[in-house]
Amino acid sequence: MAHIHLEDGSFTLVWVVVWWACALLLIGISLYLVRSAQKPDNRRITIAAFCTAAAFAIFQISIPVFGGVHINLTPLIGILTGPAIGSLVVLIINILSAAIGHGGWSMIGANTLVNIAEVAVAYATWRILKPCIPGLFPRAGIATIAGLLCGNIAMILIIVISGVQGVNQGTAQILAGLSLLAAVNMGVAVIEAFVTGMIVTYIGKVRPDLLRGERP
Amino acid sequence: MSSTMISRHIPDLDLITSYAERQDSFFTKVSPWTKFAALVLVILLITLTRSLVVCAALYLTVLLMYRLAGLPLKNLFAWYTLPALFVLSLVGIMAWSEPGSVLFSCAIAGITISLTDNGVLLVLTLLLKALISVTFSLFFLMTTRYQHFSAMIYRLFPSPLDQIFLMAYRFLFLTLAMTGAMLKAVQSRGGGIIRSIQMQGRIFAEVFALVFIRSFERAERVQRAMIARGYNGAYVAGTEVPQPGVFGYGVLCAFALAIAGIVWLVPNTGGW
Repeated sequence: MAHIHLEDGSFTLVWVVVWWACALLLIGISLYLVRSAQKPDNRRITIAAFCTAAAFAIFQISIPVFGGVHINLTPLIGILTGPAIGSLVVLIINILSAAIGHGGWSMIGANTLVNIAEVAVAYATWRILKPCIPGLFPRAGIATIAGLLCGNIAMILIIVISGVQGVNQGTAQILAGLSLLAAVNMGVAVIEAFVTGMIVTYIGKVRPDLLRGERP
Repeated sequence: MSSTMISRHIPDLDLITSYAERQDSFFTKVSPWTKFAALVLVILLITLTRSLVVCAALYLTVLLMYRLAGLPLKNLFAWYTLPALFVLSLVGIMAWSEPGSVLFSCAIAGITISLTDNGVLLVLTLLLKALISVTFSLFFLMTTRYQHFSAMIYRLFPSPLDQIFLMAYRFLFLTLAMTGAMLKAVQSRGGGIIRSIQMQGRIFAEVFALVFIRSFERAERVQRAMIARGYNGAYVAGTEVPQPGVFGYGVLCAFALAIAGIVWLVPNTGGW
């Protein structure tokens, strides 16, 4: 997943507040959507909690490919829980991650925005492609690539707009550096798409009821 | 190696919780709200300052507090790997194009890249800021009891965010132990050895899928068990969190004044 691997003190206070405010606005909308559901669904909350724990645990595993890569499965969270609950899940994952040094506390707002973009785009792509691509593997793979591509774009935009404290380079130079990182991220995104496709296929075989709207 | 430890370079939640529950240092008795407010102030200071000297002084202070609390330094240094790697992976790229006195330069594919004194300073400052943040976060986690954390989450987050957070925090230990057990099983069958990307991908995809499926199944079982015990959608954490005393408020006020003074007096501050 795209994740702003910057720690506390990288953005100025104004941008920290701006990204936190934007993220809280989206979280507020998600909370409203979850609360205004036709009937309170405790099962969804419990499943979201386990989804958070599972995603956080998976995020800690290094796959021994290309020297070791980490994936976070945010598109999978979107596919399994939808964008509203998915947004709440990524916020909590970012808080837990900040607590162990993966991204700073002040970066939670920016990182949550990036991850919400991934969750929402992956979910939308997954749903939109259903009539054209019934196969679970290619659909999940495409949804993952689309989600992670948007997450990468969001990450680059946030860093270019905010700037990094102490960096005295022009936008073009920062973009050049970030493009290299984005290229690596997209390479990892291909692996994540492959893994997500396999996970969704596996879940489709073993527990198809977990894939909302898919026929068992 | 505890059941929830997946890598030596990632903070071990079992160990963190064990220290939080068993330690009886002075810092354990300090109100969790005081430590939480201090964490916010630390983050505020490292956001506002750009001075390497201020960052170095703050890092040494935080490290001293961590040591005085009786927390393990060896583990802490191992846990620094992740944030250090992250800083170097992004800022390490930016450092090469930073204007300043050239310390080292080389040509790659016809393009000359230079490492300057400002580039090195940038990496060092951001690295120190990262280490301050991680050290104080872990100090906070390892000196605050689980029941106080739960109560703080319950009071700080709106519903159902607090419910998801509280349950996720509780389930995290089960899920990490389950994931660790599955990884051991995979490694014992040769899954850790690099073969083809397709084979590695398939093996790890199955592990990840199993983590999710088992998590969902556990979630359903736990939810049914909770309903049987009267759960109606509200996971209440009723523990009273000790309020800051006069000393706590005094320390926080002094810290806030020190931040204002540093921002006002020290050059290279004011990262508004």
